[in-house]
Amino acid sequence: MDEPTLDAIIARYDDPAGRLLGILGEIQDEEGYIPRESLAMLAEKLDVRLSQLYSLTTFYSYFSLTPVGDHVITVCMGTACHVKGAPGILEALEGMLGIKSDTSEDGKFSITTDDKKFTLEIARCFGACSMAPVLRIDGNLYGYATREDLPAILAEYGWEP
Amino acid sequence: MTRKEASSTGGAKKQVTVTINGKKYPADEGEILLGVAVREKIAIPHLCYEPSLDPYGACRLCMVEVIKDGKREMTTSCTLRAAEGLEVVTDTPAIVKYRNVLFELYLAEAPKSEVIKEMAARYGVTKTRFLKKLDTTDSLGNKCVLCGLCVRACNEIMGAGAIGFVNRGPYTVVNTPYFEPTKDCFGCGACAKVCPTKAVEFEDRGSERVMTSWSGTKVPLARCDCCGGYYAPKALAISTLAHITPSLREEIAALCPVCRGRRIARDEILAGRGGGAGSHG
Amino acid sequence: MKIGSAADLEAVRQAGMQKLRPGKPRIAVGLATCGIAVGGNRVYERLREIIERDGLDIVLTKTGCIGYCKEEPLVNISIPNKPLVILHKVTEADVEEIVKQVSRGKVPADKALCRVPSWDHVTGCTLEYGKGFSKIPLYEKVPFFKAQKKVILRDAGLINPEDIDEYIAVGGYAAALKALTGMDPETIIKEVENSGLRGRGGAGFPTGQKWRITRDAKADKKYILCNADEGDPGAYMNRNEMESDPHMLIEGMIIGAFAMGAAKGFIFIRAEYPLAIKRLKLAIGQAREYGLLGSNIFGTGFSFDIGIATGAGAFVCGESTALVASIEGRTGRPHPRPPRLTDIGGGLFGYPTDLNNVETWCNVPVIMANGSDWYSRIGAEGNTGTKVFSLVGKVDRVGLVEVPLGTTLHTIVSDIGNGGANNKKVKAVQTGGPSGGCIPLRLFETTVDYESLNRVGSIMGSGGIVVMDEDTDMVDIARYFINFATGESCGKCVPCREGLKHALLLLNRIMAKKGTKKDIETLALLSDTIVATSLCGLGQTAPNPVLTTLAYFREEYDALVKP
Repeated sequence: MDEPTLDAIIARYDDPAGRLLGILGEIQDEEGYIPRESLAMLAEKLDVRLSQLYSLTTFYSYFSLTPVGDHVITVCMGTACHVKGAPGILEALEGMLGIKSDTSEDGKFSITTDDKKFTLEIARCFGACSMAPVLRIDGNLYGYATREDLPAILAEYGWEP
Repeated sequence: MTRKEASSTGGAKKQVTVTINGKKYPADEGEILLGVAVREKIAIPHLCYEPSLDPYGACRLCMVEVIKDGKREMTTSCTLRAAEGLEVVTDTPAIVKYRNVLFELYLAEAPKSEVIKEMAARYGVTKTRFLKKLDTTDSLGNKCVLCGLCVRACNEIMGAGAIGFVNRGPYTVVNTPYFEPTKDCFGCGACAKVCPTKAVEFEDRGSERVMTSWSGTKVPLARCDCCGGYYAPKALAISTLAHITPSLREEIAALCPVCRGRRIARDEILAGRGGGAGSHG
Repeated sequence: MKIGSAADLEAVRQAGMQKLRPGKPRIAVGLATCGIAVGGNRVYERLREIIERDGLDIVLTKTGCIGYCKEEPLVNISIPNKPLVILHKVTEADVEEIVKQVSRGKVPADKALCRVPSWDHVTGCTLEYGKGFSKIPLYEKVPFFKAQKKVILRDAGLINPEDIDEYIAVGGYAAALKALTGMDPETIIKEVENSGLRGRGGAGFPTGQKWRITRDAKADKKYILCNADEGDPGAYMNRNEMESDPHMLIEGMIIGAFAMGAAKGFIFIRAEYPLAIKRLKLAIGQAREYGLLGSNIFGTGFSFDIGIATGAGAFVCGESTALVASIEGRTGRPHPRPPRLTDIGGGLFGYPTDLNNVETWCNVPVIMANGSDWYSRIGAEGNTGTKVFSLVGKVDRVGLVEVPLGTTLHTIVSDIGNGGANNKKVKAVQTGGPSGGCIPLRLFETTVDYESLNRVGSIMGSGGIVVMDEDTDMVDIARYFINFATGESCGKCVPCREGLKHALLLLNRIMAKKGTKKDIETLALLSDTIVATSLCGLGQTAPNPVLTTLAYFREEYDALVKP
């Protein structure tokens, strides 16, 4: 993220309440992750320690410190989704994308395919429980998902078997 | 307004009497009960308590039961403040039962810590039913219990902010941003000093202090102009002189504490005798 | 334009009524997150195309969600002097026919879920839609709606949440006007106390009492906060309240701020709710334009404004001290209380702060409008008012259900929810999210109120009710919640950080059929320890799913372990 963009984001937060998480959230939304240089620049501009910002970005699951793929697939792991088969959806997606879950050391679940096309993540709950199980791709929600639906859904985003 | 300001307002401290295990003790009103117990040599185990910092309440070992209106409630004594008539008991069956489980959790989390082993053993816990953490890459040698004192000393006392908590929950560790050497550390070693389990380590290697626990952060040491020895991190060597009179400061700024003391003594002697040369060897 | 008086508000009310009842057909598509996800947006777009194409004199608009999620997408049709008709499971393919019928003053009967001849918006406005369409079932005869009582969701799915005028049309902001110009703070707090309203975020602390403590705190500055971080998996009532009727929340906060003497409030909302954030921002902007937020509200000299602070994915930030830490830009690690938020030194930036859940705030306007007497007659003794629940999981009719407190689980799950989905037998419900417990079928006569749920080992929580059927493995459910809590633990205190991790390891072992009876005993002791010794509410309640499944479904554990 270049300096003017960051300055513009910072300028939107005149109240200290909600400021740091708000700014970090906008960087995350803009870039898909929090680039290291942006974090360092932010520390300098706001005169806060880098260790504080690093703590924040590793504590909150909304932030990612590594770049994500072209499309982010998020599987809801809420209770309703769990009882209605979300673990099976996740497993099927792992198979389709050729990745294996839970390889991270930071406790965050976010894995990107080698070709950087897809990132697979989980969420604790979208609050769309009535349509369980639910997944989201780049902001679009897919409800009542079944394993059988997945190839067609992913194909919309350029996935090939 | 900080929490500390709020809790310490009110002027002169009122004296109150608190009862611990049936015996009465004097205390300042609002004083941390664990502090009273430490002063009176009443054994309550604890790991994250540090009198110079706000109550933190993380290690959960200092549980006591407060007796009020015939009812008992379990709470941590490091967050309990002395008030007139406060009555607590330690080591009740419930406390012992739960504390022993906590000791088992600590033995699993910090299996290499002798401090933890000894403390648990004092309370009769020598084995753990839980899977021991053994991480060969742990820069804190599987001794850290995440009490947070190093982070707080670095941030709240020293104002350095070199280290912080990374991640959350069971994935939490303490380290520098990106697990890389940081320039925010000035090598004071407060982190190691406050660590209750002796997990934080650093060593002085020639002209450098290496913070081995903190991603190998290196801090330059100041060299004594007189004896040639390395004696303190550069950033601190200067700031520790702040309280010495300005005229002296310049002359001794680059000396180690030993040479500094000797130089001052020599100057005093010379001033008193009105002349004569001298030097230490 | 600024609304400075009752006359100004009345003028806007009439303008809003023109929008709600434009004197011509009006089609409103349910466009909350769930409606959009099942194709509501496409239905809306198609409707727009056809109405434009044919140059029809039909008003097309958006609305929120009436709660019957199973039947979405939902579309409302109001034709002058006819009942409002709710169409269900509408697809793009239906649109052509719908428009054709509506332009002839009819509705497609085969798509109709129910008709609403008149609707009580509770805050002083009953909309008489009209008579006719007698073959379409009445709203109150639909089993899903029959046992419900809409107080909080009174406008949801009926008005356009993106238009403040429609909220004002059905009685909105009249309560704020009444409170700010006709009542003093003491009277308002008395009213809230007398209403018996308790916190809807979980613990059920009396709201009036919390307000009084905040009001009495001596400080030159105070804050009020709204917890919209809705963290419980399986709960989404707050999302719908904000997406479908955001002004209700804003009005509640204005009244609260006036009563407690706060000039600034913040809504702490999870980043995972982009539509709710968008609608809240829009609503706040509209309220400012009308002078309902800002300086000198209603010419009373009272000033108040609301800001939005977004969360970043941490369940623990539902804990009050962690929530404040998060707004202040720190990690959400709770600190021991006292100091409480309402204490000097304990709240936001050290100032006394009142924190209430979304739904708690949403109860305030209706209490002011109708009085505490009226309100306290709803619900049960000590548990007044209604509560919105999200009825989800393996239940036939999923959706948002609003019932008076004191309603039995049986009524909610069997009468409203029609029991298990796909004719499966219901086995248990899980209430209260990760802090709650699993309640077996044999205890379904339990009334849903704060105390009764506690007695059976669960909690009210924010209102999630997840139904489990005969196929659900209860040990797996316990493991699911412990896994959740382990990942959401802040990591500050050892029983929560390490204890939950080891509870999870034990459950994994038991589920892999490698466990022993001793492991179950260790799990039980560990769970008790975590409850007794954790620093904050997350840890203190996290073992509840294990403890309740051990109490009610022990045989499922025993079947998995070696003796």
